[in-house]
Amino acid sequence: MNLQSIPLLFAQMTTPDDLVREAARLQRNYEFLSYGLTVAWVILVIYVLFMVSRGRKLKREIASLKAMLEDRPKP
Amino acid sequence: MNDKSGWGDYILYILGAVAIGILARDINAIARLPQEVNQGAIFKIIFFHVPVAVTAMLAAAVALVASVLFLITRDFRFDALAVAVTEVGLAFLAANLITGSIWGRIIWGQWWAWDARLTSALVCWILYASYLMLRRAVEEPTQRATFAAVWSIFSFIDVPIVIFSIKWWRTQHPQPVFWGGGSFPSDWLPVFLLNMLAMVLLAIVMTVVRVRQENAQRELDSLRRTAHAM
Repeated sequence: MNLQSIPLLFAQMTTPDDLVREAARLQRNYEFLSYGLTVAWVILVIYVLFMVSRGRKLKREIASLKAMLEDRPKP
Repeated sequence: MNDKSGWGDYILYILGAVAIGILARDINAIARLPQEVNQGAIFKIIFFHVPVAVTAMLAAAVALVASVLFLITRDFRFDALAVAVTEVGLAFLAANLITGSIWGRIIWGQWWAWDARLTSALVCWILYASYLMLRRAVEEPTQRATFAAVWSIFSFIDVPIVIFSIKWWRTQHPQPVFWGGGSFPSDWLPVFLLNMLAMVLLAIVMTVVRVRQENAQRELDSLRRTAHAM
């Protein structure tokens, strides 16, 4: 894989149209990169929030059932 | 902090914070790296796309081992581990599929291609999603765990197909950078490996939390049975 800096890329271009096209391509690339990273993070954050809410629900249900069992008169 | 669970929580918080810290640091490092000459900035999605894929495949391997161990021992701790790691792996695989699709939109000009790698990865996601659906469909705990373990072992057949599909068939998906003749700049490698470590750490923390929830669910089921019997 060949890596070059952006100024070098721009220096290789000849016409103003090339420069405009390349700038648009870079902009689009960055946009989609940010979408990708955002989506990856959002999926993981949603899953964590889902786990937190399920954990809370479980704790609540266990506590209420335990309280109910303690309140019941033993046979 | 005087009991085991307290220390466990403490270690879990530290691991989670370390993982988030590494990922936050890496986003800054990735932004500073130069662009790849052919693909431009979008190539940097590899720093997330590959680590989440590797984490998902590791999760599938752990689910396989846990399922086999459950069938041998009938110990429900292995069943809890299998369901926890499958669910976490599914979230990571979803992130992998979506980041790949976003990369494909720029490089291929389309969101999706029905080539062997993408299709087998999607099938893998569906198989593990159906594992979770199967668990919801069976009421009796032992039967549920047994069916799920068998389904998990069956689902794992797709994992080597996902991994080696790009070697076995001609695919639109590119050949792997690390074991397919591609090269990766040496100064990019530490960032990549750190991201990989962070993703695996995050998956471990999520799995432990999920295993605890599965144990709590079992306690809840047992309390319900007691309440019902009274």
